[in-house]
Amino acid sequence: MGEFARLNFYCDEHRCINCDGCSVACAEAHELPEYISRRKVITMNEGIENMEYSLSIACMHCTDAPCQQVCPVDCFYIRADGIVLHDKDKCIGCAYCLYACPFGAPQFPLDGAFGTKGVMDKCTMCAGGPEETNSHEERELYGQNRISEGKVPVCAAMCSTKALLVGDSAKISDIYRERILSKGHGAKTQPYGWDVAYGKKL
Amino acid sequence: MKKRYLALMLLLSTFLFGAKADSSIWGNNLLSNILEYDKEGSLHMGHYFTVIQSTYIQPMLLFVLIVIPLAFAAHYFIVGPKVFSHSGKSIMVFSLFKRINHALAAISFMVIIPTGIIMIFGDFFGGGAFVRFCKGAHAIASPLFMISVIPMLLTWMKRMIFSPKDDIRWLKIVGGYLSKEKKPIPAGMFNMGQKIYFWFVTLGGLVMIATSVILYLVDFELGIFTSMGLSQIDVLRISALTHNIIGIFIVAMFMVHIYMSVFAIKDAYKSMIDGTIPEEEVKILHSSYYKELQEKGEV
Amino acid sequence: MTNSLGDIQNAKAIIIFGANPAVNHPVGFQHFLKAQERNNAQMIVVDPVFTKTAAKADIYVRIRPGTDIAFMYGMLHLIFKNGWEDEDFINDRVYAMDDIKAEAAKWTPEKVSDVTGVPAEKLIQVTKLYASAGVGTLIWAMGLTQHSIGSSNTRLAPILQLALGNMGKEGGGTNILRGHDNVQGATDMGCLSDTLPGYYGLSEGSWKYFASSWGVDFEWLQGRFKSSEWMGKKGFTLARWWAGAINGKDGNDQIHNAGTGLKNLFVMGNGITSIAQQAKVKEGLDNLDMLVLCDPFVNEAAILTDKQDDVFILPAATQFETSGTVVATNRSVQWRTKVVDPLYESKTDQWIMFELAKRLGFYDEFTAGMKIKENKKDFTWPEDATDEIARIIKTIGLTGWTAKRVKSHTENWHMFDQISGRGYGKMKGEYYGLPWPCWTEKHSGSPVLYNTDRSVAEGGMGFRNRFGLEHDGTNLLAEDGSAPKDSFIEGGYPEINKDNIEKVLGITLTEDEKAKIGKNWKVDKSNIIVEKCMEKGLAPYGNAKARAKVWTFPDQIPMHREPLHSPRADLVKEFPSYEDKSNHFRVDTKYVSKQTEQEWVKDFPINLVTGRLVNMNGAGMENRASKYLAALSPEMFCQIHPDLAGKYGIRDKSMMWIHSPEGTKIKVKAKYSFSVSEDRIFIPFHFAGHFQGEDLTHKFPAGTAPYASGESANTVTNYGYDIVTQIPETKGGLCRIEYAKEEA
Repeated sequence: MGEFARLNFYCDEHRCINCDGCSVACAEAHELPEYISRRKVITMNEGIENMEYSLSIACMHCTDAPCQQVCPVDCFYIRADGIVLHDKDKCIGCAYCLYACPFGAPQFPLDGAFGTKGVMDKCTMCAGGPEETNSHEERELYGQNRISEGKVPVCAAMCSTKALLVGDSAKISDIYRERILSKGHGAKTQPYGWDVAYGKKL
Repeated sequence: MKKRYLALMLLLSTFLFGAKADSSIWGNNLLSNILEYDKEGSLHMGHYFTVIQSTYIQPMLLFVLIVIPLAFAAHYFIVGPKVFSHSGKSIMVFSLFKRINHALAAISFMVIIPTGIIMIFGDFFGGGAFVRFCKGAHAIASPLFMISVIPMLLTWMKRMIFSPKDDIRWLKIVGGYLSKEKKPIPAGMFNMGQKIYFWFVTLGGLVMIATSVILYLVDFELGIFTSMGLSQIDVLRISALTHNIIGIFIVAMFMVHIYMSVFAIKDAYKSMIDGTIPEEEVKILHSSYYKELQEKGEV
Repeated sequence: MTNSLGDIQNAKAIIIFGANPAVNHPVGFQHFLKAQERNNAQMIVVDPVFTKTAAKADIYVRIRPGTDIAFMYGMLHLIFKNGWEDEDFINDRVYAMDDIKAEAAKWTPEKVSDVTGVPAEKLIQVTKLYASAGVGTLIWAMGLTQHSIGSSNTRLAPILQLALGNMGKEGGGTNILRGHDNVQGATDMGCLSDTLPGYYGLSEGSWKYFASSWGVDFEWLQGRFKSSEWMGKKGFTLARWWAGAINGKDGNDQIHNAGTGLKNLFVMGNGITSIAQQAKVKEGLDNLDMLVLCDPFVNEAAILTDKQDDVFILPAATQFETSGTVVATNRSVQWRTKVVDPLYESKTDQWIMFELAKRLGFYDEFTAGMKIKENKKDFTWPEDATDEIARIIKTIGLTGWTAKRVKSHTENWHMFDQISGRGYGKMKGEYYGLPWPCWTEKHSGSPVLYNTDRSVAEGGMGFRNRFGLEHDGTNLLAEDGSAPKDSFIEGGYPEINKDNIEKVLGITLTEDEKAKIGKNWKVDKSNIIVEKCMEKGLAPYGNAKARAKVWTFPDQIPMHREPLHSPRADLVKEFPSYEDKSNHFRVDTKYVSKQTEQEWVKDFPINLVTGRLVNMNGAGMENRASKYLAALSPEMFCQIHPDLAGKYGIRDKSMMWIHSPEGTKIKVKAKYSFSVSEDRIFIPFHFAGHFQGEDLTHKFPAGTAPYASGESANTVTNYGYDIVTQIPETKGGLCRIEYAKEEA
């Protein structure tokens, strides 16, 4: 990761098959309540030949995060690596972030007084929250902190077709570029048998 | 009927939140909402909401909170209050029903307005439990306002109708508040200022209620919006902006209302406790109403 | 699967019949997508429903259920007409392709279009694309097999590949996607009623080989049966065990089971709702004396039955609580390591079986085979079981699958190429998971079956010589020049046995070897035959031609026959089903009499297609017990085209009834979808817990009900079973639908 690396998500729509592996992995890893889905897969034009495609969507960790701009209690903060996080202790569940968000990412449980919205929950890119890293409190409020352990967010790790990419935006574009450029160049394999590529004495 | 309605509401409320497949925000509309965001031809509501909410709402409210008290202070010290003796003869103006009605609305405002202000300045208060408590109180107090605003509107509506003869003159002299003189002011049972406040608070209040219900429910679908081509998320954005902007105006109006009843006309608020207004006060500030009462022989 | 999932990346064209890997094999599906990306592979999906796989296809063909044979003959018609076939391949390695050619000549594009509902232009487009793209792989799954003509379907698909010369090639082959974890392993181990493990059949010779390999007396084994003749008879199948329990009562199909019905049912890890004709399953369960269900979650058979007594639910451990081998869809084996000890009171499957054997009094015989190899006093589970399998199963070449080797592969999985499976570093010379046949303890495994471009030592082979040397005067052995690389013999050769080994291999055995050697390669405990063959570069099973014609089957070559419940009454007359079959896996089974019982389409005008959802498998027992998986599809539904729904006044998300010709019905939620056309509906088969409109979930033991329950699709799947394998015809039935009023 370079000095100016910013972490991003990208979903390759040719690869995404709407298997929901990402969303289930996310819910399972962070032990979310059933009514919260930090990540979800959306299919467009379902059932229409040559028109159907799917995308996995969550918080996109915007550079100019509108949620942060509108939050009346300033509970959002953007890490140096671009991950947009929020402080659940500060959040009042006003849902302004949802109104500002282009992606419908913020989610609200129904646990406030008289059915008012509870504090907001959204994708943390598996980076936890402001609490002490990997502490019990962080785990309870935000779920796993995989980034601190050097792991890929669980959704991308679990993606069955590697449609969902996450990481330094430069890296992601490299991967995607490779996919595009290698089109038609044949399977990336070692040939069968052992007398071709390896095994010959030099 | 009532039972059914309750059951329906309960049923509805269980399906209101969360990412159901058919959720109107997190469901199938999600992608079209995303694609719509700030696209040409869209309402650009996401953008407007973000810009207005992040840059204008707080300063607007701050302006109201600073400038209006300053104006009042100036008025109080330069012009001074109007004082009418409460020991003399009084006229019974407000029935018990109206007073209770007003009291309910007053209590709700006492909660709703400060908590609303605290929420807008949530960052100043550091968010968290206190502001969350205010948000809860804001929500809990609003049904009080909901139940008081309709009877209020109905019972006072007739007296609040604009009567050009008095009201335009009243406006021209700004209700006589800029002069220390005690001479009869052209006004019926309610003067133009009261009328403006009334209509603003009741009709504006209804809009506040409507938007608050929308913001409270979040995830629902109303045919009327859909038929207008509004996506639910845009309905929410419009509601939030409307709620906040009208809210700021109501805050301003409410401050005037308080100033008038407590300071500008000394102890005028008491009329909403015992229902009576000193005869002199009626004679001066509501001269047309006084005449009306005289004609009826009630004074 | 002749090749492997990774090998699909080498394909230039992919044609998929009745399979939905995007949903059923999401991880494996990446290879399809990569083939499209890197190889410009054209993907053709032939399916009655526009699936998630179809969404990724270059061409989607909407076919009428149960008409795959007509479609494939249509392809063959065009292939032969235009000379796109691989003549050399057919000549050298295929028997009786002429018969196929003659049948294909009848299937003009127009005729195919009439039968399948696929426009003639589309058939031509698909065929031209597939035949000319280069090496193409053919994929299928349950959509092809679950028909009364399922076995014919699965014969014609390889014939199509043979005609194009796509067999035994990288990026080619017929690749059948196994639906569950270790289905291949379970099949290899003979979880079937008509064969011993390793496809040895039920002949006395086989029994004797197994008796001696297991270390038990043949007579003792024979004594376990009612009489010796029952030892060689096929048993009941999973599809129709219930007929055995019902025992012909109330006009049900008669059985041939030595004059008695089935009394007890012992279920280990099989979702009973994945079996067709649920109402009959229930009747069967109700008629049992005793029902035992071993599952990690409560098997829904327990709540389906009205039986009150003698129903036992044993808590079985999951795969994570035990260890052992599993076999993947590409015939490769992996070691699975235990993660945790069995939770709570649950017990592993082997524990349950050992205890059962002890109480039934044959524990010593049951476990004797595991001690033979090293002549031990006691055995170690599961290593000794794995070694026992390797020691006994020669037909499919499991000799190389010793526990030690399997473990070393799994532990070093990072040292294998992901596509070819080829090992490097210290794993050099072996393919990942040693895909069978893995002839010896040193053999590399065979990642691509029937590949003659490679030596036998590196996984090459011809087709198996299994049905004699000639038929009707035609040579059944492969022609010259078609032997695997580095072969001692240029052309075909017979399977190797004690009598012909010296002649065929041109060797002389020592007296010692002669004394040790078994009768033939399949029962040669000494493994001398295989070792000698390896030295000469020969496959022990011979090098023969693939048969396009099976002279012992009801249809010698695959023939189109309409499903028992066909929406085309006119075609039923032209392509009637088989004669009724008596004693088909012990049950009398109806074909043409069922088909012509009435004109089904008059009362049941809609095609019924069942299938899978991505978040579930099988009966969905364990998936619906996971709250996150259940949340993705919280209730049973039916995908229905809005235009069809409109005709019946069914609104989106309203309830509807689906009635089957068997008189059963289910109540499900309608879900408007354009994935289905107006003449068919799609229902997932993962739900259970409701039966014909009645919610049975109150019958679950406290705290064991899953998060989601619903009607089982199989309550309305139709009567109909394959003529050879008895697989149920769940993919080509009929139904009637109506709007279901919501009760207040």
